[in-house]
Amino acid sequence: MTDLLRVEHLTRHFKIGGALSQRTLHAVDDVSFGINAREIVALAGESGSGKSTIARMLARIYRPTSGEIYFEGKSLSRIRSRRDQLRYSGLVPMVFQDPFGSINPVFRVQHGMLRSLKLHRPELSAAQRLEEAARVFDVVGLNPDMLQRFPYELSGGQRQRVGFAQALAMRPKLILADEPVSMLDVSIRIGLLNLMAKLRDEEGVSILYITHDIASARYVADRLIVMYAGQIAETGPIEDVLAHPRHPYTQLLLSAVPDPRAPLSVAAETDRGEPPKVIDPAPGCRFRWRCPLAIDTCAQVTPELAELRPAHDAACHVAQTSAEEVKAFS
Amino acid sequence: MQSRVPDTPVLEVSGLSVDYLLDRGSVRAVDDVSFTVSRGEFLGIVGESGCGKSTLLFAVAQLLAPPAHLAAGTVMFKGTNLVGLTDRQLSAIRWQAMSVVMQSAMNALNPVKTIGAQFKDAMQAHGKPSKEEITARSAEVLRMVGIDPVHLRSYPHQLSGGMRQRSMIAMAMLFTPDLVIMDEPTSALDVVAQRSLMVQIKELQQTFGFAVIFVTHDMSLISHFSDRLMVMYAGQVDELGATKMIFDRPRHPYTQGLLEAFPSIRGPRVPLKGIPGNPPDLSSVPAGCRFHPRCPHALDRCAQVPPDLSPVDGDLVRCLRRQDGSLS
Repeated sequence: MTDLLRVEHLTRHFKIGGALSQRTLHAVDDVSFGINAREIVALAGESGSGKSTIARMLARIYRPTSGEIYFEGKSLSRIRSRRDQLRYSGLVPMVFQDPFGSINPVFRVQHGMLRSLKLHRPELSAAQRLEEAARVFDVVGLNPDMLQRFPYELSGGQRQRVGFAQALAMRPKLILADEPVSMLDVSIRIGLLNLMAKLRDEEGVSILYITHDIASARYVADRLIVMYAGQIAETGPIEDVLAHPRHPYTQLLLSAVPDPRAPLSVAAETDRGEPPKVIDPAPGCRFRWRCPLAIDTCAQVTPELAELRPAHDAACHVAQTSAEEVKAFS
Repeated sequence: MQSRVPDTPVLEVSGLSVDYLLDRGSVRAVDDVSFTVSRGEFLGIVGESGCGKSTLLFAVAQLLAPPAHLAAGTVMFKGTNLVGLTDRQLSAIRWQAMSVVMQSAMNALNPVKTIGAQFKDAMQAHGKPSKEEITARSAEVLRMVGIDPVHLRSYPHQLSGGMRQRSMIAMAMLFTPDLVIMDEPTSALDVVAQRSLMVQIKELQQTFGFAVIFVTHDMSLISHFSDRLMVMYAGQVDELGATKMIFDRPRHPYTQGLLEAFPSIRGPRVPLKGIPGNPPDLSSVPAGCRFHPRCPHALDRCAQVPPDLSPVDGDLVRCLRRQDGSLS
């Protein structure tokens, strides 16, 4: 299976403090993963864990400090011309978190739609652009009459559908969706999640779904990447990760998810820790201060991802050691 | 984690209605809401944005500002009707007997003052404590929420989101209130911090015995913490009853829809539908039952007859078909 998008050793540091400051914030550190065609990958983690920074690098808003992003096998660092840039942002568009801030309020909804069509698909005539706008509106479950409305006439859920329609009009291969449902009401969210699944199943689009809501990730995603303090803590097929979490952070995260159908779990109650700000970090596991299982090695060696179950990796010394012991005995 | 529920009400709200007076006429944001909160009880209020839950809280705390205006109803707090009291009279009750924790601690704390200075302000505004009393009590309440008292000298930006929210709760505890009103205090937090804050609120409540009104849009969040639950839709109460009862057997189709809109991390993966449509604009609410345009069980009469809130199996439910038993 060839990856649609492949990220290798992606790193992004920010200089912080005054002009003379030598301190750097490690927002994303040495992250590698892939996204296949027709796949929804959920990128989950607490705020500050680096998930939005990854999306912004994929959207070419930020340049990586080091590491490479390959889209359809070609490195993004080789994009030079405006034409290549336009082509890439059409193939990999972004849907934003805030449906109230991401549509220009002074124009009708069709304004942004038709403009991006004109820019990204210049081969279409004016009539074809209108036709295409109506088609994508239909796909995302909006009445094409809505094109004539002003943004203030639409509800939050409808606006977020407009966001997906705009992305879809560019015939994308991968949509970067940064918390697309977190500002919507509970009763509306499911409709958007169903839409994301439909785009994957019927339009063949892949989606990078960035969220802190594990339950919604499980609802739509095929694979899960759990971030902690700028690094991947655990990744794998989502059902396998949720059923057999190997990293203590994933276990903590899962125990904290509010779930009326589950008994109250105890693990999260004892944790009053906070994710660290990763400024000029020394080697070692970044979760060790909060980790109930931490051993001496954790303070000295940064754990690398290792496959502990089929296609399911975790970056944890303790989990890796116990997996090896199990292997040695069997 | 259900706490004891003695029956003396600390708060009794009856027939409360709030209008927003706008140029195009008035809009009723809270329509004839009545409920009680017993001493030491945890009442959860859930609903979508625009259902009137925050306006209701403001009305209870007598914090409404124009264009909002209390149209009818009484708010009996420990035997006193708060409606119509002057600011001076309210000041004696606010913070001492009833305190409010607002939604976003990022905005609720003054960014240019230390935590300690803000605690001092609150204490001096509602009493005449000595310097020593202020320092001692400030340190004590911070310790209660698990923050080191050295942070009294910290500015809000030096604290994490969870710590800021916890210091807001500490501030609400400066005096020993009988009622703490919380408006989505955890909505800006990550799940882990959110869960730890909920547990902490519950612990404080069990230690000090104050009552809590907790407003949220996330029903699953309070499932393990609230004693009773009030579900609001379009300015009205749709369902009111014991939390466990409502989660086990939701009676109102809207409550059912809300509960079915949550994906779970456990059990089989099932397709969910959510609730079709959108909550109504309060300036033009549907005739009859306000939920009927989105309701899967609506009949013709639901569009004509507005249902009352009346008892069904021990809960209060606003649904014609539940009340006459045609929906089981």
